[in-house]
Amino acid sequence: MVKFLVKRLLGLIFVIFCVTLITFLIGYYAPGNPIQVMLGDHPNPALEAQLMHSYGLDLPWYQQYWNFIVHLLHFNFGTSYKTINRPVNDIIGESLPISLELGFWALIIQVGIGVPVGIISALKANTWVDTTSMSVSLIIYALPPFVLSILAQLLIIWLDTTFGGSWPNSQWGVPWQYSWMDIQYKLAPILVYGAAGMAYFARLSRTSMLEVLRQDYVRTARAKGLYERVVVYRHAFRNALIPLITIIGLSVGFLVAGAFFIESIFQIPGIANVTLDAVNSLDYPVVQATTVILAIGVVFGNLLSDICYTLVDPRIKAE
Amino acid sequence: MEKERSPKFSKPNFIQPEGSMVPPATPQGAILDEAPALVDESALKDAEDKKKKSQTPLSESLRRLRHDKRAVVCFTVIVLYILVAVFGPFIYTHIGADYKSDISNTTISSTIYRDFTHQEPDRKHEGPSAQYWLGTDSIGRDLFSRLMQGMLISISVAVIVEIIDIVVGVAVGVLAGYYGGWIDFFLARFTDVMFAFPGILFLILLVGILGPRIDTLSNIPVIGANGNARLVLVSLGLAVTVWPTMARYVRGQTLQLKEQQFIEAARTSGASDLIIILRHLVPNLLSIVIIASTLNIANTIISEAGISLLGLGVQPPGSSIGLMISDATSYMQYHPWEALMPAIVLIIIVLAFSFLGDGLRDAFDPRSKD
Repeated sequence: MVKFLVKRLLGLIFVIFCVTLITFLIGYYAPGNPIQVMLGDHPNPALEAQLMHSYGLDLPWYQQYWNFIVHLLHFNFGTSYKTINRPVNDIIGESLPISLELGFWALIIQVGIGVPVGIISALKANTWVDTTSMSVSLIIYALPPFVLSILAQLLIIWLDTTFGGSWPNSQWGVPWQYSWMDIQYKLAPILVYGAAGMAYFARLSRTSMLEVLRQDYVRTARAKGLYERVVVYRHAFRNALIPLITIIGLSVGFLVAGAFFIESIFQIPGIANVTLDAVNSLDYPVVQATTVILAIGVVFGNLLSDICYTLVDPRIKAE
Repeated sequence: MEKERSPKFSKPNFIQPEGSMVPPATPQGAILDEAPALVDESALKDAEDKKKKSQTPLSESLRRLRHDKRAVVCFTVIVLYILVAVFGPFIYTHIGADYKSDISNTTISSTIYRDFTHQEPDRKHEGPSAQYWLGTDSIGRDLFSRLMQGMLISISVAVIVEIIDIVVGVAVGVLAGYYGGWIDFFLARFTDVMFAFPGILFLILLVGILGPRIDTLSNIPVIGANGNARLVLVSLGLAVTVWPTMARYVRGQTLQLKEQQFIEAARTSGASDLIIILRHLVPNLLSIVIIASTLNIANTIISEAGISLLGLGVQPPGSSIGLMISDATSYMQYHPWEALMPAIVLIIIVLAFSFLGDGLRDAFDPRSKD
C-alpha cells in the first residue's frame, strides 16, 4: 500500500515536471513579443529593454525555467503582462473559487442524480424505465457540452419571451452565496455542466449494478430468504459502488475539459475563461499559472482515485 | 479464400478488444473463451458442408452489422453527410437564378451570392427562402453554403486526424506490445502525461499561442485560404492527443494475440518478425482499429467545432460549424434559428458516428452486449 502510493507519487512528480516544461516551452518559443504587444503602437527600445529585464525575459531559457519552477514552489506566479503590475495570484484568487464552486455542484449533480438513475435502471433492467433512461443518457453523453449549453440558453430565452420572465442566461452570481438572484444565475450552467457526467455515471452504475446482481453471493442472499430491499441495498449496492468511487477522481479531468466551453458560453469569469483571455492576449504568466493549476488538479484527481481504489478494494496492490 | 492464404494452421478468430474497452464478459462468455478454437472450427465445418464456402469472421460481423437497423441508418446518414459536404456546394451554387442586388445595383449570379464568404448587406437575418435555402446570417451570408463548408471542414479534419491516429497508434501499439522494452516504456510515460494534461487545454495552448504565426500561411491555396490555416495546427494537436489511446488498445490486443498458437506456428515455420507483424498481427487488429477510430471521429468533430467556437480554429471569412454557432450566439434572442441549425447538424453527425461505433462494436464483438 505505502509502496504503491510512493510509486504513484513519483509518477505524479514526473507528470507535473513534464506539464510545467511543456507550458514553459510553449510560452518561451511562442511568436510575438509580449512586451511589444504591451507597449502597443509606441515602440520604445529603452523601455522595452528595461521591461524585458524586469520580467526576466532576457535570461537564457534554462534560467527562465529555473526561475519559473522556484517561483512555482513559492506559489508565486509573477505578474500579468496584460494589466501591468497585477499579480497573477490576484487573478487566480478571483477566478478559481468560481470554477471550484461550479465544479463542486456539477460533481454533486453527476453523482447525486446519475448513480440513483443507473441503480434504478439496473433493478428494472429491460423495462421501459431502463430503456428510456439509458437512451436519454446515451444521447446526452454523446453530445458535446457546448451544444448542450447553447440548447439550454435557447430554452431559457424561449421561456423568458413566452412567459415574460427575466431569467438570466449568462454571467455568474456571487461565489458561494445562494440568494434567489444567485441561484437564477447559477442553476443553468451547473445543470448543463453536470449533465454529461450524470449520463456517464448513470450508464456506469447500471453496468456495475447488473454485474453485481449476477454474483453468487446475491443469489445466496436471496436463497436465504432475505427481503429484496436488504439484498439490493446491503449486499448489491455497496459492491456496485466500488468502480464508481474510482471514477469520481477521474472525472476531474472531464470537468476541466468541459469548463472551457461552459465558462466561455455562459460568460462565467472562472479560471478557464481567464485562460482563454490570457491565451488570446499572449499573457504568458497567467497562461502558465492556470495551466499548471488545472493540470495539477487533474493529476491529483487521478491520485485520489488510485488511493480510493486501494482503500475500498484491498485485493488491489501495486503491480 | 481466407483458408488458402494460411493453410498451415487453424484460422485465427477475431480476438475481442481488451477489457478496458468493453464491459467484462459474463461467466458463460468466459467459458466460451476457453474453447474458442473448438467452437470456431466446428462452426466453420458446418458452414462448409452446407454452402461449400467458408464464413469468415469478417463476413459474419458484416452480416450482423447489416441486420442492425440503427447502425445502417447511421451509416446512411454519414454517407449522405459526406456527399452533401463534398458535392453540395458545387450543385447549390449552380442551380440558383440570377439576383438583382439593390445595394450595388448589379445582377449577380448564384455562384457569387451563394458563395459562403459573400455578404449581401441588405439581406441580414433572413429565414429560409428559395434564394437562401437556410436563410442568411448577421452580415448577410448564405447559411446553407456556410453549413456545407463547415461540414466539409469537420469531415476533412476528422479524416486527417484519423489517418495520423491509425498510422502512429497502430505502429507504436504493435511495437510496444510485440517487443515491449523502451517503446513500451515510452508509450506508458507519454500516455501518463497526455492523460494528466487535458486534451482540450493542450489544443487551446497550442492553437492559441502558435496560431498567429500559422496565420501567415494563409496565401497557400486550400490549406491556407479562408482562414483554414489554423486547422493544420488543430489537426496535429488533436492527433497528438488521441493516438496514445489507439496505441493502448492496439498494444493490449497485440499482447493477447502474440500468445496465440497461430503466431507461434508462424514463428516455428520460420516467419520473420516483420512478416508476423504485417501478415498475422495487423490484419487481426482490424476490428479494434475500426471500432476505436469510428468512436474517435465523433470526438474529433466535436473538438474541431469546439475550438472554432472558442474563436481559435477557423478564422472569419471561412466557415465551420463551431464558428457558425459562435457567430450566432449574440443574436439568439431574436434569431435562435441561426444557432439552432448548426447545432442540430452537429448533433446529428456526432450521434451518427457514436451509434455506428456502438453498432460496430456489437457486430465485431457480440459478447460485449450486456
